[in-house]
Amino acid sequence: MFEHVLSVMIFLPIVAGLILLLTPAGKGIARLTGLVISFASLILGLDIFFKFKEQAALQFVENVAWIPAWGINYHLGLDGISLFVLLAGAILLPMVYILFSTKEKGYYANLLIVQGAMAGALCAADMVLFYIFWEIMLLPIFFMLGLYGGENRIKATLKITIYTIAGSLLMLASIIYVGVTYHAQFGEWNFAISQMSQLQLAGPVAVLAFFGFMIAFAIKIPLFPFHTWLPDAYTEAPTATTFVLSAIMAKIGVYAVIRFVVPVFDGEFARFALLLAYSGVIGMMYCGITAIAQKDIKRMLAFSSASHMGIIALGVFCLNVQALTGSIYQIVAHATSTGVLFLFVGIIEDKMKTRQIKDLGGIAYKAPVFAFFFAVAMLASVGLPGTSGFIGEFLIILGAIKFNVVIGVLAGTTLIIGVCYMLWMFQRVFFEKTNDRTEGFTDLSIKEGLTFLPVIVLIVVMGLYPQPFLSKIEPAAQQLIASVTKADSMQIAQSTHAQQSDGHTVEKKN
Amino acid sequence: MEHNVTFLGYIPLLPLIGAAVLGFLHIGTCNRKPLNEKLYGLIACVGPVLAFVLALRVFLTLKGMPEEARYLSQKAFTWFQVGELDITMGFLADPLSSLMLVFVTLIGSLIHIYSIGYMEGDKNIGKFFAYLNLFVGSMLILVLGDNPVVMFVGWEGVGLCSYLLISFYSEETNNVLAGNKAFIVNRIGDLGFVLGMAFLFWAIGAGGFDFFSLKANAHSLTPGIALAVCLLLFVGATGKSAQIPLYVWLPDAMAGPTPVSALIHAATMVTAGVYMVARFSFIYAHVPVAGEIVAWIGILTALLAAIFAMFQDDIKKILAYSTVSQLGYMFAGVGVAAYSAGIFHVFTHAFFKALLFLGAGAIIYAMHHEQNIWKMGGLKNKMPKTYITMLIGALALAGCPPFAGFFSKDEILFSTLATGHYGIWAIGVLVAGMTAFYTFRMIFVVFHGEPRDQEAYDHCHEAPAVMTVPLIILAVGALFAGFLNLPAIFGGNQLVSHWLAPSLVEHHPHVSIFIEIIAIGASVAAFVVGIRIAYKRFAVGAEEPQFSGFCKFAYHKFYIDELYDGVFVQPYKKIGNAIRKTIEPSVTDAPVTLASKLYMVIGTAFKVFQVGYVRVYAIYMIVGLSLMSLLLSQSLN
Repeated sequence: MFEHVLSVMIFLPIVAGLILLLTPAGKGIARLTGLVISFASLILGLDIFFKFKEQAALQFVENVAWIPAWGINYHLGLDGISLFVLLAGAILLPMVYILFSTKEKGYYANLLIVQGAMAGALCAADMVLFYIFWEIMLLPIFFMLGLYGGENRIKATLKITIYTIAGSLLMLASIIYVGVTYHAQFGEWNFAISQMSQLQLAGPVAVLAFFGFMIAFAIKIPLFPFHTWLPDAYTEAPTATTFVLSAIMAKIGVYAVIRFVVPVFDGEFARFALLLAYSGVIGMMYCGITAIAQKDIKRMLAFSSASHMGIIALGVFCLNVQALTGSIYQIVAHATSTGVLFLFVGIIEDKMKTRQIKDLGGIAYKAPVFAFFFAVAMLASVGLPGTSGFIGEFLIILGAIKFNVVIGVLAGTTLIIGVCYMLWMFQRVFFEKTNDRTEGFTDLSIKEGLTFLPVIVLIVVMGLYPQPFLSKIEPAAQQLIASVTKADSMQIAQSTHAQQSDGHTVEKKN
Repeated sequence: MEHNVTFLGYIPLLPLIGAAVLGFLHIGTCNRKPLNEKLYGLIACVGPVLAFVLALRVFLTLKGMPEEARYLSQKAFTWFQVGELDITMGFLADPLSSLMLVFVTLIGSLIHIYSIGYMEGDKNIGKFFAYLNLFVGSMLILVLGDNPVVMFVGWEGVGLCSYLLISFYSEETNNVLAGNKAFIVNRIGDLGFVLGMAFLFWAIGAGGFDFFSLKANAHSLTPGIALAVCLLLFVGATGKSAQIPLYVWLPDAMAGPTPVSALIHAATMVTAGVYMVARFSFIYAHVPVAGEIVAWIGILTALLAAIFAMFQDDIKKILAYSTVSQLGYMFAGVGVAAYSAGIFHVFTHAFFKALLFLGAGAIIYAMHHEQNIWKMGGLKNKMPKTYITMLIGALALAGCPPFAGFFSKDEILFSTLATGHYGIWAIGVLVAGMTAFYTFRMIFVVFHGEPRDQEAYDHCHEAPAVMTVPLIILAVGALFAGFLNLPAIFGGNQLVSHWLAPSLVEHHPHVSIFIEIIAIGASVAAFVVGIRIAYKRFAVGAEEPQFSGFCKFAYHKFYIDELYDGVFVQPYKKIGNAIRKTIEPSVTDAPVTLASKLYMVIGTAFKVFQVGYVRVYAIYMIVGLSLMSLLLSQSLN
């Protein structure tokens, strides 16, 4: 089993989800199945984490020919970058089944399928395989949003569908282009990601293909100005879906940029990095400023999430190891802070039957444990030192300054923009006076408290002792940066002296 | 040079553990059966007092070492390391941080003890002490951090505690708004700090980012980068230490409980900016332009805040503006590269300002939360201990020889004169006079004359011993702390300056004794004039004044808060609202709406052809077939 641990991580949830959908199982069975399987995935995920070696190469590889005529393989593997996104999902998803216990069968079944498909997208080392998982992972989201969403769910579903299908088509065209080019240059069909970095891509079609990939991923992340599906979808979707979208799926967009765009289109990426970086910081500022005007907490968090994603994406565009490592670290940090905040809002909504900020107030006096947990997640989200949010944000700002001073300074404003909307929301929801509605707010139950406690502890541990995580990310990040700057990756990974020259080449390119 | 010790880390850790225990107890019990208040007070005092004992041990250890080798450090663990960036969770005790350490823990402990009395009966006393412990722990991290990033942990940590404690009485919207303001304004400064660190790192950080390595590599900074780093870090300092243009949060911060105002918003946290500039003296000393800017911002802040303080009627607001003003002096000192003078003023100011705040707290406590000085009067008979201790504090603040404030302020003013900054010196002397005036305006109105509110006066009583004993200890400090750095002209040998010398990069200008006498003479004269005017106008029977003209303008603090609100806050909210209402639905969302509309249009267009009659489809077929055969025949030819 442990030779195929990635396959198990992928197909165990998908198969379970399908069986649930096809059999007349009840809600209780469905939830129990979800709980057991998500815990199994968590254990497998932790096992993978501890067995993971601190090196750049893919690990836990499985490679079986699938469609040999086209060179398409069932090829899986993990590196330091995908490991953390996978782990974030494995750690966070069991919470959903514990916290939300009274949903429909389809709700739990779709969650299982999306969990498996996301694992598939993260582990795929073959572009076609990746594309298939990428598409599968969206289907359950459409169903959950369309079936179990809020009042305006149809409009939101339509919007996200238009966006993601447009993105997927562009990506498919780009994948085909890359495959055909490989065939032209090397005389054989191959879609393995590791081989694509040998391609010599140039000319206007390559630029088009680059943007084909970039736009598909930019929609998913979402990067400004492709973000407009997000507030509607995040707001209308049921809590678990929003949680999955914000905590994990958005990150797969960033991951995909790192995995596909950076090594394959290194030339184009370096050429357009500044443009993309501006898109990241402008999106961060735009969504952050918009967040302050929102009246619905969930919608505010949706904009906040989009704002943070701008900064995370920026870290990838800065082309240096600090920013890239910071980005990957921030992916997990953001999942534990903003993702958990969405769950908290789900709890508020369940208890108070409203998400309107003006209808709330004084919750802190009624529910001190809840308020404390919320505050910790909120402080992590604004990047307070000592929480997980600081490390990633600091590394990204540091790297951004090296990349481009203007970008760096603009990125730094996230320190201010974040606290503005968060504190004002916290004031109106948790402080001030209670009203008739919030007077009846009950604190977290022991079960709920124990569900959140590990994540709250993780937020602090990741803030105070991030090195075990960083040392697993860094080799992959080093290799990636080296591949973009076309320097000798072996040397770079070992000597800090070489890194400085590496940094200089980056600056010259821009 | 480096001397590794393992107990440095415990100094911040002890109060932090206290905070965790208190927080846990409070959250666990607050909505059930509350615990005994005394228990909270007792637990709360353990951390700071033990930290004080350890701080003394550090101080004495350093004292026992040869002067050039006074350097203790502890590298607890690698915090984060990416590429050439290598940040250690490390602590450093040298003469500078050990001095800060001793007085932060001493004053922190005293204020914890005082709070047992002041916060009696508050149902959130557990939360209060948890925050207070968290604050002391953060402040100690700030002081002990051996690299800028660890320092920044404390720097933001104290900002968080400040926010939590300002909005402590969180049912009142205004208190929470004051807390938000403090956090956000501090964050604006913190952006400067972060950017300063980033520039510094890319310039010389590859050789190690701890203060020791940075100091060794500082010579290779280019002048441009050095200036940028200095100014960006100073932006951080203006936020934390309430200088122009970011001073606006501090007066509002008085919404918090009074012990907090004493500990955080007077004695310790707000001086962090001065400490930071002194800590980075190895860069500032090489960039005179940056120092010049720091000094001018400082002295102008001192002047502005002194003007405001002369017209306030809330006792805590008077003290708050006086804090801003005194912080301005400190920056004037470190700006003209008299780092030890600046730090010495931090040290003495901590005693007399904490004393004044705690005294004010005793009055507010006795007057049932009345803070308007025009409702007080004649209190010296009712509260003799508070009166005498506050009088000592006031004399120290006003710069009366031989109280603590006189020596430290004089040291700064002398330094400005000695380095040829005559403009700064002249303003400084003017501010000294104003300080004497507003301080004694407060003393005379509150303690002298006739009671203005007879009923409140009758119910008024001296504070309990748990509050007056800390007052007395602080008064002793306000009386004698100045002698620690007695200059040669008074027969001393500047113990503090010599103690600090190994940590700082400064050189003392040698000037004639004549200049020294001018500086001292001017300070004393300013004090006498200021106190004399205050005596004439307020000693007996002063009535609450009605302000007009400039006084009204100053009473409203030049409407700067309103200006900021109109220029920054409201437009920011308006932009947010405009995006929500207009830009988001009709601009950024336009392509999607357009796409779906386009589908509809195309669909409608094609609907025309789908008529549903077989004969029409037959015609389509014939047309299509003939076109196809035409094409085929052409291509075959």
